[in-house]
Amino acid sequence: MSAVATIANVVGSGRTTAASAAREVTRLLAEADSRGLNATLHWSATNIAREAGAVDDRIRTGEANLPLAGVPVALKDNIVTTDAPTTCGSRILERYVSPFEATVVTRLRAAGALIAAKTNLDEFAMGSSTEHSAFGRVRHPMDSDLVPGGSSGGSAALVAAGVVPAALGSETGGSVLQPASFCGVVGVKPTYGRVSRYGLVAFGSSLDCISVFGRTVDDAARILAVISGLDPYDATTVDAPLPPAFVEARPLAGLRVGLPREYLPDDLHPGVRAGVDRAIARLRDLGATVVPVSLPHTAYAVPTYYVLAPAEAASNLARYDGARYGSRQPGPDGDLRGLYRATRGHGFGPEVRRRILVGTYVLSAGYYNAYYRKAQQVRNLLAADFTRAFREDRVDLLLTPTTPTPAFRAGEKTSDPVAMYLADIFVCGASLAGLPAMSLPAGRSDGLPVGVQLIAPAFGESQMLQVAAALEQVLPGDEETR
Amino acid sequence: MSIGSKDVLHVAGLAELDVPAAELQTLAEQMGRIVEYVAQLNAVPAGEQAAPFLVGSHAAPLRDDEVRPMPLAQGPEAIAPEFRDGFFLVPRLGTMEDE
Repeated sequence: MSAVATIANVVGSGRTTAASAAREVTRLLAEADSRGLNATLHWSATNIAREAGAVDDRIRTGEANLPLAGVPVALKDNIVTTDAPTTCGSRILERYVSPFEATVVTRLRAAGALIAAKTNLDEFAMGSSTEHSAFGRVRHPMDSDLVPGGSSGGSAALVAAGVVPAALGSETGGSVLQPASFCGVVGVKPTYGRVSRYGLVAFGSSLDCISVFGRTVDDAARILAVISGLDPYDATTVDAPLPPAFVEARPLAGLRVGLPREYLPDDLHPGVRAGVDRAIARLRDLGATVVPVSLPHTAYAVPTYYVLAPAEAASNLARYDGARYGSRQPGPDGDLRGLYRATRGHGFGPEVRRRILVGTYVLSAGYYNAYYRKAQQVRNLLAADFTRAFREDRVDLLLTPTTPTPAFRAGEKTSDPVAMYLADIFVCGASLAGLPAMSLPAGRSDGLPVGVQLIAPAFGESQMLQVAAALEQVLPGDEETR
Repeated sequence: MSIGSKDVLHVAGLAELDVPAAELQTLAEQMGRIVEYVAQLNAVPAGEQAAPFLVGSHAAPLRDDEVRPMPLAQGPEAIAPEFRDGFFLVPRLGTMEDE
């Protein structure tokens, strides 16, 4: 039984209390802090105990339907809560406390979960290593010289370190799947529109998806089931059948899995390649058919993403001007524009400034058609590649590596932004197309986790999770791939 | 395409963003590298009229833009101070009186 299921079961049935679960997660959070993981930005033993007390009261009064009773869940610190600051890893929002709560938080609490911590992230979710947090980089739980991936590196590290069984992150172009792969945990990005973004601080509005980390497929699936569904506060949510409340492995006979050749270049890291080969072999052992397919525009996914995401970020982050949110820095001349410029110049870190500048550039007169409009057209071609694979090649799922390499060393890519961007080369396609995808541990290369990615048609989470659950049973994440 | 410090300052002005003078050169180089990288999109054959992507449209199609009756709980004649022949009657403006 998964950790989430076990905790919910023993707390919900009264065999132990949510207060006991709260004490345990508090101890583990303190231990993680003392190890220097730097995975959390805020947590409070008092708040966790208060939430646990409320859950225990609900159970005592006979409330039965608490699918996450006493389950500690960590939140990336770009998801707003009213009882803790939401900084987005930025000085510009230091000490900012939201006046309202995100829908996902309301749903988790209604299901009996304990909000354990707000986790560290690349500033405003812009990065692939969690080195761009204004509050220091997150350490990889297995080797502190390595990065945990990003931008949801704090959530991934906390799950991988065994502090919480599940955590929420946000995926704009790989920010959950890539750190899940680096840290050896499960990461699930739902279909665009599956989970409400009300209360998720906006970065790239046509891409952002609140997503889930779990130690196992079932852990992640149980959280996803609770947070999914139509929300009147988010007009982009869709009234689609919900993903399953728990996952059971399904037989794979008759399943067709596509293997896009563009995701398996000759220079792919041999350990990652070996992880994919293992997954292919296990799928075939289980009765699935694995066939080659082509997604011919794959090479353009990263450049498309790095036009569209900065453009949307430049627009979304215009609101941080010192007048309404967070910190304020007076300009040298005491005028309003000086206030805006000084506040933003001081408050944003280097990566955010860089992306705002690139985004403003590609949207500016004379460059809009050449960059932004062109990228929107190529995005359509990228999405059409996926549609063709699912409809014409008649594959149920796609299997790819999640990342081109295992976790890299801190500082290795910070001076070259394009090198850093390429860490997301296999994961930003699904985000651009709005499709559900997940990363599943596929073994280790020289001791470091490698993951494989499954991509499904829109709203195909149920099948994707069931196949992943079957694969998980025969693909131990802690075995060397070669 | 090469990007210089002057270009960075121009874009920073549009974005209402102070950029430290010491970082200008590095920023210009990094932006140049990024813009050069994304310019490979121009090699993708997509005609002028190629459709841009609309996220989520497959799941939430827009309804037809049709005018539909929006019945009010009370008719306008019930809530308007004066209402005649389908029109609200309002006080004549002073400037119009002058004319």
